[in-house]
Amino acid sequence: MLIEQLINGITLGSIYAIVALGFTLVFGVLGIINMAHGEIFMFGAFIGVVVTSTFKGPLWLAFMAAILVTAAMGYLLERFALRPLRNKQGVSHLAPLISTIGVSILLENLSHHIFGPGNHPFRASFAEISFQIGSITVYLVQIVIFIISVLLMYALSFWLGKTKAGKALRATAENLETASLLGVDVKRTITMTVIIASAMGGIAGILVGMAFNSVTPQMGLSIGLKGLAIIILGGMGNVKGAMAGGLILGLAETFVVVYGNSGYKDAIAFAAIIVILLIRPQGLFGQKISA
Amino acid sequence: MLAELINPYYLQVASFILINIILGVSIYITLSTGQLSLANAGFMGIGAYTSALLTLNFDLPIIGGILAGTLLAGVFGILIGIPTLRLQGVYLAIVTLGFGEVIRVIFVNWESMTKGAVGLSGIPHMGRELLNTLKEFGFDPKILGLQNNQFVFLAIFLILLGVTISIITFFRRQNRSRVGRAFAAIKLDEKAAESMGINITYYKVLAFAQGALVAGFAGALFAHVLAYISPADFAYHRAVEILIFAVFGGSEVIWGPVFGALFLTVMPEVLRFISEYRYMIYGLIIIIMMAVRPQGLIDVNILNWLKLKTSKRRQKHGTSSQKSM
Repeated sequence: MLIEQLINGITLGSIYAIVALGFTLVFGVLGIINMAHGEIFMFGAFIGVVVTSTFKGPLWLAFMAAILVTAAMGYLLERFALRPLRNKQGVSHLAPLISTIGVSILLENLSHHIFGPGNHPFRASFAEISFQIGSITVYLVQIVIFIISVLLMYALSFWLGKTKAGKALRATAENLETASLLGVDVKRTITMTVIIASAMGGIAGILVGMAFNSVTPQMGLSIGLKGLAIIILGGMGNVKGAMAGGLILGLAETFVVVYGNSGYKDAIAFAAIIVILLIRPQGLFGQKISA
Repeated sequence: MLAELINPYYLQVASFILINIILGVSIYITLSTGQLSLANAGFMGIGAYTSALLTLNFDLPIIGGILAGTLLAGVFGILIGIPTLRLQGVYLAIVTLGFGEVIRVIFVNWESMTKGAVGLSGIPHMGRELLNTLKEFGFDPKILGLQNNQFVFLAIFLILLGVTISIITFFRRQNRSRVGRAFAAIKLDEKAAESMGINITYYKVLAFAQGALVAGFAGALFAHVLAYISPADFAYHRAVEILIFAVFGGSEVIWGPVFGALFLTVMPEVLRFISEYRYMIYGLIIIIMMAVRPQGLIDVNILNWLKLKTSKRRQKHGTSSQKSM
């Protein structure tokens, strides 16, 4: 029982971690909270539903389609909602936040019109397959989700740490002007960051669809807000913090459902960030920032 | 004659416009110190639920309920404001957003009290209660040539109009006072304001609590005008809607959110075919406004220009009456 719940919590947590990574990449480079990330994630899930249910396509095709569509949305987001605000005189630092809130409302209601408001089941062909290990039941879906998440996190860490593009991204995150003086194409790096973050959101969307077997237009908001809570929990712009924060939240929510009141599951994330921001504003894994 | 002019539907829409204007003012107050608070929908919910529960369960008169709701929202504003105002900008926005979400989850789950997601119905209706009271004194709306129904909605509209005008007047006067100047100084530069001897914590909490108070008041009115509330009325979408009033209309002057609330409440009613796409249009408005005119439609320059226009016209017609904006 305990171990099964532990596995559920880790599955949920690894999905949360991927959602949070999308937030953290954009915040690290641009210093912007991308409120539209949750909705891009939700679009990824819907693309998965359309490919697997409507066109009866295989799962890998769903992943490819979701990555393509969400990457394109990331580009559009950067081009039309973020770039016009950059380098503009007299724009409040809240402007990008408000602008991405606009994008999120637009996307949420767009998906209402395209896909309909109801609950869409997500059929993965191997949804029912499970293993018995002793008294524990493990579903294949959980293992797949976990492996994909770990691979994705590993790939991202490798890309950020070892490749030239990743170094350019970190330099830009450190200081935009200095990076551009040192010959980093800042504009391209920023666009690429938003695109990669959005594509990760798309992948996370399909994983959530598989995990819960349901996709709705509202899920972008609820999971997006949780992703936001996670990056505060783990420290803003901190990649490792986002992963750890995701796992912590996933486990906490699972155990509240098992041992407490399931109704308050959705409030944990926010109660946690309110406490964190008051006690340790830099996040659990963040560096102390001198103001 | 009067009776034919008064259409309950128009009065209902007008009442919602006035409530939205009060909500617009509530976010304007916190924005006037440069703080973005997205908790106003939560404060509105606290006001609405407190007033509704007190009047439903304890037979409190509506005025008592509204006062209690408003004050409780204000108290929460102070309690939330003192710790969170150490945070700035984006962090404050997220924490206040989180606060609103926690409030909503509590409303949904505290079923013994709030009836959960179903919501509270049968809340005493402001207009009808007034009519019943007046009837006890032998008043009949027919004296004015009105149906009961018409009188009810007219009464609500007039009460709300009076309340809204008083609120706007109060905050316009406050803007020209010591408090208003302190708010403006904090908005421009917190550090400079502090070094000029302004107690920035005090003024920021004051602005936050005032915003909460006004939002709670609007919520309590909302409960007694609609007679039905549910947690969904005070969720994320309401917070964003309130934000849009200020973003669209402008947050530099109080007329900005007032205009924003007026325009954005009327638009979907007038253009029926648009109301289905209402939120999509809201989203587009936000994106375009931020890119093109981040200060909102109405700012100081526009007000001055309008003032110039009207004063010139007045001189031309030779009237000597002075009117200040």
